Amino acid sequence: MTLDEIKLGEECRIVRQNLGGATGQRLMDMGFIPGTKVKVVRNAPLIDPVDLLIRGYHVSLRHHEARGVEVERT
Amino acid sequence: MNDPRREITVAVAGQPNSGKSTIFNMLTGARQHVANYPGVTIEKRSGKYSYKGDTVILVDLPGTYSLTSYSQEERIATDFLLYEKPAVVLDIIDASNLERNLYLTFQLQEMGMPLIIALNMMDVAEARGLRIDTQKLSELLKVPVIVTVGNKGKGKEELKTAIINARRNTENNNFRIDYGEKLEPILSLLEKRLSEDLKISLSYPVRWLAVKLMENDSVARRLVEKAFSK
Repeated sequence: MTLDEIKLGEECRIVRQNLGGATGQRLMDMGFIPGTKVKVVRNAPLIDPVDLLIRGYHVSLRHHEARGVEVERT
Repeated sequence: MNDPRREITVAVAGQPNSGKSTIFNMLTGARQHVANYPGVTIEKRSGKYSYKGDTVILVDLPGTYSLTSYSQEERIATDFLLYEKPAVVLDIIDASNLERNLYLTFQLQEMGMPLIIALNMMDVAEARGLRIDTQKLSELLKVPVIVTVGNKGKGKEELKTAIINARRNTENNNFRIDYGEKLEPILSLLEKRLSEDLKISLSYPVRWLAVKLMENDSVARRLVEKAFSK
């Protein structure tokens, strides 16, 4: 499953990341690597973005970016 | 050697929101100069101060999460470090976000930069219940770590002293990240090949270049292709 399918308040673990390019590199720089836990904190009222908690800080991603991150439920 | 007008250039690096500008302002006060990096519209702030007979020129690098070639800010920061060769790099770390911030620190170390760490926003980290063993951090990374709270001016004198001392300390920082048994053999092969080219090994840190080639970094590739095409 992918990160955009994770419901509000749920936590998951990153399996792999398929974004590539500048976005993929940026996410790697910020610690989106296999094994890392991510929690979905909030969803914006009009679909994008989604607010995530990773390694103790918040990141907002668009849903189509979240779709590029494969995760598993913890 | 006894030139009374000694000047040292210090690059201020750090991730976005690490408090880089606050520390920059704390050290330089109002003596600042704003320009652009040549050819691009990214602001280049520099400032200076005198300390015990030395003039320290601070250059504020763009805030970046890392030093790849994907964004203009990152390329500018990398180029400045490679070609302007600052005497010291002051790495501003958000203490409340230590893990993420250390990623940039590792890259600076891989480039062989003489580093000082300002562990900034320590008050925020403590308010969140984090306790950081700064002495241990300094031992592990083999660089001086100074605790700062930029908006309260805490750590100002300590930083100024550390900057002067770091300049005098010509010892090579031999901190090295071990990439494990899968990558290290390939890295050392690359390092060996790169070292054989004098132009490359005199101009660039080969370990850094080897790692960048493994990342398929476009700037690193171009550097090497150019050197080996002759």
